[in-house]
Formats: sequence, C-alpha cells, structure tokens
Amino acid sequence: MCDIFALSAGVNYTAQQYLPIFAKKGRQNMNGWGIGFYRGDQALVEKSSERVCNSEQVHESFQRLARVVDSRIIVSHISCPLSGGSHSAQNHPFTLPFLNHVWLFVHVGLIKGIENYVTANEPSVGVDVYPARVLEYLRDQLISRLRYTPHESLGTSLVKSIKSLLSDYPGHYAFFLANESVLFAFFNFRSLMLLRESESYGNSLVVTSIEGLSDKEWVAIEAEKNTLGKFLVAAGPDVLYLGDVK
Amino acid sequence: MCDLFALSAATNYSAPKSLPIFATRAGRNMDGWGIGFFRKNRAHVEKSAAHAYHWGRFHDGFQRLARVVSSKFIIAHVRLRTSGPIDECHAHPFILQFQGDDWIFAHNGKAPSIESYRSQKVRLDNVVSDSGRTFEYLLDGMAARYEGSRDVFCLFTALADTSRQLIEEYPGSYNYLLTNGSVLFAFSNHRQFVLLKESKNLERALLLTTVEHGLSEENWERFSRPSGSIGFLMAIVGSDILFREDI
Repeated sequence: MCDIFALSAGVNYTAQQYLPIFAKKGRQNMNGWGIGFYRGDQALVEKSSERVCNSEQVHESFQRLARVVDSRIIVSHISCPLSGGSHSAQNHPFTLPFLNHVWLFVHVGLIKGIENYVTANEPSVGVDVYPARVLEYLRDQLISRLRYTPHESLGTSLVKSIKSLLSDYPGHYAFFLANESVLFAFFNFRSLMLLRESESYGNSLVVTSIEGLSDKEWVAIEAEKNTLGKFLVAAGPDVLYLGDVK
Repeated sequence: MCDLFALSAATNYSAPKSLPIFATRAGRNMDGWGIGFFRKNRAHVEKSAAHAYHWGRFHDGFQRLARVVSSKFIIAHVRLRTSGPIDECHAHPFILQFQGDDWIFAHNGKAPSIESYRSQKVRLDNVVSDSGRTFEYLLDGMAARYEGSRDVFCLFTALADTSRQLIEEYPGSYNYLLTNGSVLFAFSNHRQFVLLKESKNLERALLLTTVEHGLSEENWERFSRPSGSIGFLMAIVGSDILFREDI
C-alpha cells in the first residue's frame, strides 16, 4: 500500500526531520516517490520512479530535497505497484490549476471504475493512472459548485464533492489536496497520524499514513463507523476543522 | 459606529487603493484608527487616536502605511468611541498571544455587559473597553477548549463554540475580525460584512469590510446574521472562504 505525508506551517519550513524517516518506514513501496511544494503560489513537484529506499539507504535526491525544500505546504507520496505505472510522470503528487490556485494531490487507496472517468474541463492530468482521475473528478465538482457562486465556502463545497465522488465511485480513499495556503485531507480507510509541532520545531502540523515517524505524541485519527469518512482542514500549523463526512 | 476592514491573500499584499477608500467611506469615525499586519509570523499594529480622514485629508501616517504595509492579512479599524477613553491605547486592532501565535483582533459593536469580565490568563494592559474584554474572553474560551481537548484541537470549532457562549453570557452587538497570520476569522451578529474577490478596481485579494456598500462600485457580496441564528462565523484563508457557519 502506498503512503502519504503532508506538512503545513505558517511560514516556509523544511520537512528534513520527517521525510527521510517517512521514506525508510515506507521502503516496501518500491515504485517511486514524489515531493510537492510551493514557491509563492506556484506548485512544484519533484518525482522519480526509482525506489525511495534501497536496503537502509534513502534515495539520494529524496534526501537532498528533504533538506532543501522549504514551503508552507509540503506533500509527499511513496508508491506501491497498485497505484499505477512505473514512469515518473505516473507518480504522485499530481497538479492541476483551477479556482485561482495550483493544487497538489496525493492519494492512497483502491477505487473501481474511476479509471474510465472523462473530465469535461481543461486541462487534464496527462497520465493514465486512476488517482489522476480522482483529482480531475474533484476539480470538476468544485468548479461546477463554485463557478457561479464564488463566495460559497470552499470547505463545504469540497465535502459535497467528496460525497458525490463516493456515491459515483465507491472505494478506499485517503488523500491530501492542497493549495499554497490550505491542506485538505479525506480518508475512509486506514488511519492518519497527526502531530502539532512546537514553535521550536517550526510551529508546523505533520500528517501521515505511517506510524512512528518520531517518539512524540502523535494522534491517530480514524474514520468512524457508519460515516463516509473523515475530513480535515489545516491552515498553517492549526487544524481548523476535523469532522465526519455523513 | 466603528468600521472594520480586512484584506486576505495567499501571498503578501498591500492595500494602497482600498485602505484610503475605507478611511473616507468610514468618515464618521473620528476617534482613532489602526492597521494590523504580520511580518513573518509576528503581528504588528500601528495606531493613532487621530482622525484617519478629516476635511478631505488623510492622516499622514495612515496614508503612508496604506502604501507600505505588505502582509497576507491586513486588518484595519476606524473608531467611533462607545466604550473606553479616546486615546491611542484604545484604538484597535489589539494583539495578544495564544498557543505561541500572535493574534490580531478588531471589533465593532456595543457590549457594555462584558466590561466587567476579568480574564485570569491574558490581559490587554491599560485597555478598559468592551472590545478589549471581548478579545480576552475569546482567547480564554479557546484556551479552555484547547486544554479540554483530548486529542485534536480544532480552531474553527473552538471559536464558534466560544462565540456562541460569548453571546449567551454577555449579550451585545459584535462584529469582530481575528487572525493569527494563518487564518482570518470574521464574526457578526449585527450590521453586516460585505466581501469582494477578484476586484477589477481595487486589490485582487479578498476584501472584507463593514462599510455598507463596500469600497467600490462592484458586486460586493453581503453577509449578515440569518434569522433564527445568533450570528455567523467565517474562516478565510488566502482569497477563499473556507467555512461559514451560522451559530
């Protein structure tokens, strides 16, 4: 199973403390890796189809990027064979520009049928893997809900879009969707680990699908039974909202 | 009645067009002004007990700051005194710390009942107004919820609950802006906020004010307390309304 990681901070910050451990703990995922971040309002992605960790050695470029990338939002993904192809372009994060932002997206899970989804909007994510279709689906939904009502709430619109996604394409989802200021997370399987770091560690929030990135007091959050999943919104180091999607 | 202004953007922004218009349209406010902003993650406030705009002239400091201040969030306030003396100390915005963050707060409205509130944890030195006590009450309320949270502390939920409790314990009229540099909260239970995104005439950031018809001849969206609720709370990040909840 793939793994995902996100850091959200009030000012630009590096994830050098966590990304290498994330890579080591996720080393069974041998189909590539990716790191997404922001320079101003532009999303940048570095990715590779090589193993993120070979025996005990973290991929050299991944290590260097972990030290150098500084951003208010950083997302990362390490891929298992289930998540799609073996070309670096097919690795997460994926990006799409819409609603005046460039968005980053990483996903873990299995969904049947969504590989056939055809977006009505431009641009599309130009790779033939189903997580790209999830991002296009969410983009299409958000645009349809917010195009003519730009003062509607983005968070509420995303929850409605997720409900629509789950109705049209049931499956296992755990994803991060971020712009340069906000991190959204949704999951309906596995659990996510959450840590609010103190000011001396960058005053940041770290969320990941991997347990034990440090010996600090991580909080495990799980989707409740009889709900559609859990929805989290973070801005800077703060969780603004954490609730059930029903 | 005082008036409020906020600019919110994903990157640092200035408000050289909208802030002077705010000062002129809020021209009945003669008891001071203030501009709050963030540099890195530290809050700064510049304020004065003088008019922001008077007889066709802007206060020199206000005009210069409008051109120079650059921040993801800019909060401005022009004052018509209803509580507390007229001096620089009582001009808004105010700054306090909570959870290691600087918070900026500005308020309009009238809530005499909260003047008797005494915080045990935070204190705005030398401020004796309903606005100062309201700020302290909100941070106390969030601190109590933070200490009581078993695992994850949710800021929006905590502030919505605290605002509900504020209205119940200390009835009054409240419009407030509150930001920690990562998110801007706007609450109202009287008058209204008007909001504009993607202005063609002013800054292209999200603009928010209590000035009735907005700051330009564009299509400002009006937000006011729906009937049946005691107020509403918005969370704004960058140029987006993330959440809006009736309380």
